[in-house]
Amino acid sequence: MMHCYLCSAPLRHQLTWKLLFTSMPEPVVCEKCLRKFERIQDSEQKYEDVIALYHYNEAMHDYLHQFKFGQDVVLAKVFRSDIATYLKNSSATIVPIPMHPLKKKERTFAQVDELLRVASITYTHCLEKMTTQNQATKSKLEREQSEQFFSLKEDCQIEHIDYLLVDDIVTTGTTLKHATTLLMDAGARKVTSFALIQG
Amino acid sequence: MRFQLNKTQLNLTQSSPLHLLHHQLRDFLTGRLWLRNQSFLRSETIDQQIKLGYVEVIPGIQLISTTNHLFSKEKWQCNRCRNINQHFFARFHCAKCEQTCVYCRHCINMGRVSSCTQLIKWIGPPKKIVTKGNTFIWEGTFTPQQEKASVELIESVRLSKDHLTHAVCGAGKTEILFPAIAECLKSHKRVCVATPRTDVVLELAPRIQKVFPQTFVQALYGGAEVDKRYSQLIIATTHQLYRFEEAFDVVIVDEADAFPYTFDQTLQEAVQKAKKLEAPILYVTATPSDELKNRIKKRKGGSSFIPRRYHTHPLPVPRFDSLFSYQKKLTKGKIPQKLKQWVCDRLEKEEPFLVFFPTIELMEKSVGLFQQLHPAIQAVHAEDSDRKEKVLLLRQSNIPGLLTTTILERGITIPRVQVAVVGSESAIFNKSALIQIGGRVGRSADHPSGDLVFFHHGITLEMDEARREIVKLNELEVIQ
Ligand SMILES: [Zn+2]
Ligand SMILES: [Zn+2]
Ligand SMILES: [Zn+2]
Repeated sequence: MMHCYLCSAPLRHQLTWKLLFTSMPEPVVCEKCLRKFERIQDSEQKYEDVIALYHYNEAMHDYLHQFKFGQDVVLAKVFRSDIATYLKNSSATIVPIPMHPLKKKERTFAQVDELLRVASITYTHCLEKMTTQNQATKSKLEREQSEQFFSLKEDCQIEHIDYLLVDDIVTTGTTLKHATTLLMDAGARKVTSFALIQG
Repeated sequence: MRFQLNKTQLNLTQSSPLHLLHHQLRDFLTGRLWLRNQSFLRSETIDQQIKLGYVEVIPGIQLISTTNHLFSKEKWQCNRCRNINQHFFARFHCAKCEQTCVYCRHCINMGRVSSCTQLIKWIGPPKKIVTKGNTFIWEGTFTPQQEKASVELIESVRLSKDHLTHAVCGAGKTEILFPAIAECLKSHKRVCVATPRTDVVLELAPRIQKVFPQTFVQALYGGAEVDKRYSQLIIATTHQLYRFEEAFDVVIVDEADAFPYTFDQTLQEAVQKAKKLEAPILYVTATPSDELKNRIKKRKGGSSFIPRRYHTHPLPVPRFDSLFSYQKKLTKGKIPQKLKQWVCDRLEKEEPFLVFFPTIELMEKSVGLFQQLHPAIQAVHAEDSDRKEKVLLLRQSNIPGLLTTTILERGITIPRVQVAVVGSESAIFNKSALIQIGGRVGRSADHPSGDLVFFHHGITLEMDEARREIVKLNELEVIQ
């Protein structure tokens, strides 16, 4: 029997016709845990050209902590159908916000890539993170004024098409702003962003 | 906590004060099974010790072969928690070892163990246990039954035999352990008192420390700061035993029946793994399961039985009172009349009270209604971080009563407390939970009785059995 990834309660979800006849992935968390996450209404979106799906409430804080710092990679699956629903029909090229290679090695996985992978979303890495410094330890002003966080990957050609940046959490919007500027300067037609969580 | 380093300190010692020196490493690692990549472990020191043959490296996850009469197949095993339930393993592409890595979700909250994680343990010259500092100071007295049980327990320690101490709630079972622990310490044995619940660790550790004032008593539970010193006497949650291997000469399992110990096979194995091969396990419980009794019998272990409380008064016998459709009424915003009357009586007589609920949801729906009877009534549950404070408030009579889930079924003592169980027919209130809950009433010698009522929507077998057992215990002839 499957158990909820978050609270270990046995999962007895009904095999509905919907589940049988669509490619909807099986849920990995129970209804009770799922209800603790809070969806963002359209009017609550804080950043221009950024769509975020969930509020950063207590349940989300715990989730993100276990996923990233607890290195519980499978938790990427918790939101896979949300992410798939939102991104699968996008015509833009999907570009994950990258981690610094050293940081990635330390964490053993890149959480944004993992979120996309389990949602079966194809993505292209165009960016490289230049600094290992943690954004969370900086003040908002420091983050806005700091120099470009990213550089373009050598083997990546930016075309005059639409790009959709993806990050796990947007807290000040600076990271996404940096990446957007870089892609626009390199010739992109339009750059919008998607984040699972709005901090 | 952050350490401040200054330059002179760094120049004085070869390694930073954050890292353990060689003998400290031995003291810390003795009996432990620890993740290698931890900040306080200096890689070079460990490498040296490995070369000397003093530290063994064990892969975090291992493939083992299992064979039954038909098939032989390979299975993953976590070498820390020994989990072999394949559901708890997850695979991913690891950026560190750059291949498919498997990790164990069963013990992940202690820091992830994966295929490319190394566990280390001390296999070098053992630390000599110095025992002259272990004084035992206790001035209490035993009832004849406690005395007998404590002597029997010491006997089992001396013979390295498993032992089951069945002591009713309020029999003073912790005190019975003291002489046995003293015996262990005196005879150079390393002891662990393991219990499933953090609350119980927090309650036991200071009491045990007090009677062994010169012994370094270490309390281990999720979130506890780990002291790096060697300790001969450890009080730990059963979960923490995952981090030990062949460490203890004696393991005492307190509240052996409490969730989740009975539920989780791997926790039982954790006890086996943490103790030395020949080390006995001493179980202490108010509600031993048949399975536990049989296990002791099979292993020819010792057993003791204390049917009376230390104050020799009988156990409170529960009364059953119907409270039909309580769920519907509470959900609709009304406290059923009988329950309301019961609480009002307690408030009028200024008797502290506990009301047990089958679910957090129902309790949270109800708390506002009870606060209309008295605004200071509070509710507690397992994830409530203020739980300890609220229980203390009740004990000090700063609040009149608490609504609670089964989390308070054991380990707490509140003088004069009166207890009601709402929905005692619910599956969560099994026989042993009901006996434990009843055990909260009449614990102190000054107030040896009190009201214990099971409000129900139909009487269950478990309720009947709990009452029958209590009545039977009260009828037993005991030595005085
Ligand atoms: Zn859940
Ligand atoms: Zn494990
Ligand atoms: Zn790996």
